[in-house]
Amino acid sequence: MSRLLPYSALALAALCVALVAGTAIGESNLAPNVVYQVLANHLWQAGYPVDPIDAGIVWNYRLTRTLVAAACGAGLATCGVILQALLRNPLAEPYLLGLSAGASTGAVLVGLLGLGSVALSMSGGAFIGALAAFALVLVLARAAGPSSNNAQVILAGIAGSQLFTALTAFLITKSATAEQARGILFWLLGNLSGVRWPSVWLALPVALFGLVVCLWHRRALDAFTFGADSAASLGIPVRRTQLLLISCAALVTAVMVSIVGAIGFVGLVIPHALRLLLGPGHSRLLPASALGGALFLISADILSRTLIPGQVIPVGVVTALIGAPVFALILVSRRGRP
Amino acid sequence: MLPRLAALIAGLGLTSLAQAAATHYPLTVDNCGMPQTFAHAPERAVTIGQAGTEMLYALGLGDKLAGTSLWFNNVLPEYKALNDKVERLADNDPSFEAVVGKRPQLVAVQFEWMVGAQGVVGTREQFDELKIPTYLLPSDCEGKDNLVGADGTRLQAFQVESIYKSVHQLAEIFDVQDRGAALNADLKGRLDSAKAHLAGKDLSNTSALFWFSSADLDIDPYVAGRQGVADFMLRTLGVRNVVESTEEWPTVGWETLAKANPTWLIIARMDRRRFPADDYQKKLEFLRNDPVTRNMDAVKNDRIIVLDADAMQAGIRLFRGLQTLSTAFASGKAAQ
Repeated sequence: MSRLLPYSALALAALCVALVAGTAIGESNLAPNVVYQVLANHLWQAGYPVDPIDAGIVWNYRLTRTLVAAACGAGLATCGVILQALLRNPLAEPYLLGLSAGASTGAVLVGLLGLGSVALSMSGGAFIGALAAFALVLVLARAAGPSSNNAQVILAGIAGSQLFTALTAFLITKSATAEQARGILFWLLGNLSGVRWPSVWLALPVALFGLVVCLWHRRALDAFTFGADSAASLGIPVRRTQLLLISCAALVTAVMVSIVGAIGFVGLVIPHALRLLLGPGHSRLLPASALGGALFLISADILSRTLIPGQVIPVGVVTALIGAPVFALILVSRRGRP
Repeated sequence: MLPRLAALIAGLGLTSLAQAAATHYPLTVDNCGMPQTFAHAPERAVTIGQAGTEMLYALGLGDKLAGTSLWFNNVLPEYKALNDKVERLADNDPSFEAVVGKRPQLVAVQFEWMVGAQGVVGTREQFDELKIPTYLLPSDCEGKDNLVGADGTRLQAFQVESIYKSVHQLAEIFDVQDRGAALNADLKGRLDSAKAHLAGKDLSNTSALFWFSSADLDIDPYVAGRQGVADFMLRTLGVRNVVESTEEWPTVGWETLAKANPTWLIIARMDRRRFPADDYQKKLEFLRNDPVTRNMDAVKNDRIIVLDADAMQAGIRLFRGLQTLSTAFASGKAAQ
């Protein structure tokens, strides 16, 4: 326990530095003291006179998107850890269960049917679509055989993803113009620019909830790493635990996808990288992955805002640009290991 | 009143000049790098794109139209009765066979991505094989590469001459050159009156931002970049566009836009309801409630102009848009 303290302090410090960096760096150049004054005004009513536009940018645009980036990164990385452990497949990631494909279909439907002006935003559509796809995958997997069979879950996920991807393509070809498709694509590639405080109050608790549930089941997750049979022999209720954890991952992912779109590679690469560094024990792997995911997505978001001056690149493009080479590196460095 | 009178006089003057010209067939028109030959004036035409449709109506050629397609908004009110008699082949892009089925002797097309090398409807070569001439509005092919970027990429800034050219060439094809000259004179008159309205006004420190729509209300909006039609309108009136991207409709973050703090905000009104921000009321609501944008000078001082989305496209409506903008800029108050 005494070894835990310095690590936790270090982790907290790293997170704080990243949050401040995410708030201080952005599309436009704001002096560091302006950023400090805005934060001080809000945190302890320092009462500095600040330009209201600058104040709004720092507090309502930058801080919110940085907090949501942290929550999404942490949430997606946690989900990646769970799915890789439960399914014992190195390619398992949060979107494996058809969630991102379902989210696209939901968002496109809202966009095309013009529901957008009535009740449902594209985010709402994406959330419903993601859960619908997940339900379909669950039903498929169950119909295909006993739930202890990992391959069936993975195959059901692939089938679900393909189906919903095809549906999206069908809807776009049928009724969208090129310009409309671009709008939807832009949204789907992952974008943090529409994030405000309500999103923060949704993303942070959900990410924490996911992390706590998983930490609660860390021993079970350790056991699942050796297969469902060994987990059963250790007295773990296999079916129930599996369903609970997968549903938890689906819920967290669906919420994140609906807030920021499908940001790839975080849920795949971060758990792998940290497993290589820390080993497979989930009591350390889970919090480390959550932190790693948060830091990774905050950095990616900073890059997405600063790479092209005056324009924002979808953050999903940045994570894939960094994520793909990192993943390749991990693959190469794993050569020769058991 | 005065500018209208001026336009009328200019129009009359040019009309009398152009009276003599009649088209000699067969006529060959070089159009976007593909010469098109007409043995006689087309009796049946199909349009793809609202700009071309309304241009033909303005030339008094409504009775020659066999079908229209690709609509963005309702037709201009003065052409409603005429338009009701013409079959609408599709709201969006029509199929190749729907167009060909009308046995058109001319297909007038607004955007190259409809009939270009990767044409959504078909390629111009396909139409050519069936001996159907296509006329692509020059504004979408001259100085523009439509194989690069989502909405194509303008290699040079949009030139208003391309609109006069399309009016002139369409009038030539249909042998109504006097009407073409009159229409062009009217359009030029509107442009001149819009400019004249601002004569003597110092606009060197005036800037503006065109907000077309956004995929989601809080998300980075589609705004007018440099070189497009919207930017041409600002340049003509001597107002600076705060967006510097050379893309036609780039997405730019609100942080950048709020810091640029333009004097005027110009927001698009359209009938389309695909995204929440298509509704200009929603745009206004966002601008007035967002913690950052509500502090922009243009919002605080109510310098927000609502402009028809079609006025930002290369068509005859652009000239009315210019007049709306110039009236607002001149009075310092927003016109809605």
